Amino acid sequence: MSKVLCSIATRGRYFTTLPLVLNAIINQTKLPDALVIFDDNDEPQDMRKEMIYSYFFQMLDAKGVKWEWNFAGKKGQHHIHQTANLSGYEWVWRVDDDAIPEPNVLAELYDWATGTVYNVGAVGGSILTPPYMPDTSKVTGLIDNIDNEPNIQWGKIERHKEVEHLHCSFLYRAGIADYNLGLSRVAHREETLFTYQLQQKGYSILAVPNAVTWHMKNPQGGIRSETSEEMYKHDEQIFRNIIRFRDRTVVVLNCGLGDHIVFSHILPSIPRAEVFSCYPEVIPGKPIAEAIQLFGDIDQWNIYKKMDQWKWKDSLENAYRKMYL
Amino acid sequence: MIIIAPYAQKLRTGKENPKNYPHWEELVQELQKTMHVVQVGVKGEKQLVPDFRTNLPITSLRELLRQCKTWIGVDSFFQHLAWDEGKPGIVLWGPSDPLIFGHPENINLLKDRSHLIENQFVWWEATEHQNDRFVKPQEILEHLKE
Repeated sequence: MSKVLCSIATRGRYFTTLPLVLNAIINQTKLPDALVIFDDNDEPQDMRKEMIYSYFFQMLDAKGVKWEWNFAGKKGQHHIHQTANLSGYEWVWRVDDDAIPEPNVLAELYDWATGTVYNVGAVGGSILTPPYMPDTSKVTGLIDNIDNEPNIQWGKIERHKEVEHLHCSFLYRAGIADYNLGLSRVAHREETLFTYQLQQKGYSILAVPNAVTWHMKNPQGGIRSETSEEMYKHDEQIFRNIIRFRDRTVVVLNCGLGDHIVFSHILPSIPRAEVFSCYPEVIPGKPIAEAIQLFGDIDQWNIYKKMDQWKWKDSLENAYRKMYL
Repeated sequence: MIIIAPYAQKLRTGKENPKNYPHWEELVQELQKTMHVVQVGVKGEKQLVPDFRTNLPITSLRELLRQCKTWIGVDSFFQHLAWDEGKPGIVLWGPSDPLIFGHPENINLLKDRSHLIENQFVWWEATEHQNDRFVKPQEILEHLKE
């Protein structure tokens, strides 16, 4: 059976919604194999001293769920999610610190992820914030319609649907896509970009029924408690740029001269390549600085990081094939 | 004429690149007995032969490759350029893995896979240079006779 990590990023909610979330996770009908709480508080506390948390930790132990409390780097939740994404688990269930899943949510999402004909990249259920629960039965979930329709997860999902992006809380196949670490600390659109990237890599993104999470949208605290409009603008621009290039295969060669030469043997096979290159005399392309400006973070195209992540034993040429073809 | 491309890229720390072959002087001495040796590289690298051509543009390096009988190098961009040019040569391997970074068209001389570093994808600054990782010049000369 595939291993599932439950990942929670938290900030400013020690004594409000976080305990409710932990209780909900402990009471899932299907338990995750492990739970990691990423504490992004400015003044983190040792919660083992708090009675209710002490009980939670003992309940997790009693139920055989490995748990960790990690002190995060206060760089934003995208960094936290990327850590979880690369932690070696096959699936990651990301849960917000004010989103309370009903007891069947993980079981339902996991069944959809592993027990259907779909090659699932991510699967999410309804994320309801009463009293606002729009009818999303006609929502397409396509990235092109993101400005014109509510998110499908905001309403009660009655039938499963393949979409192009999810938000807030979902179960995803780990180590396939990357969170965009070029976003600001507010990480606006981080989950949209992440799930859309999974979809672009050929995986199905599903919105499914019977998996309700109640989003309490606690105005105090929260991993996105920054209010800087500039940060939101910055992230929105990156999002728009990535969408603008969605019909192209973006190639970013932020690597050595020899790597460019090897890559030159792959380039003719890449459809509609939009190239950013360090050595335009070998591979014509736009400057790397432009790629950083457009997409925020270019690590997802770092062939050495990818080979490390893939525990690569084959040739560099074939690593490029895996990345781009 | 034979080309030698003796050095991998300089490290930012100033330390010797662990991919650099340690016995060039000895090897070059033998090579020069029977053929003209052209060294290619960048300014500031140690000169090993009288004919040292520095900072050549890629087009000139390709031209040289077309003219040479063969070449000897380390795991650097030059081995990729020669592969791209379709000119096989000899690559002297130390800590990096020829199965990942090499080309089977070349003679890839690796002393032993036990000398490869475990993580092939870290910055080379983190790896110390070790002379005993590399084959001896005699072995290279044997392959040149083939």
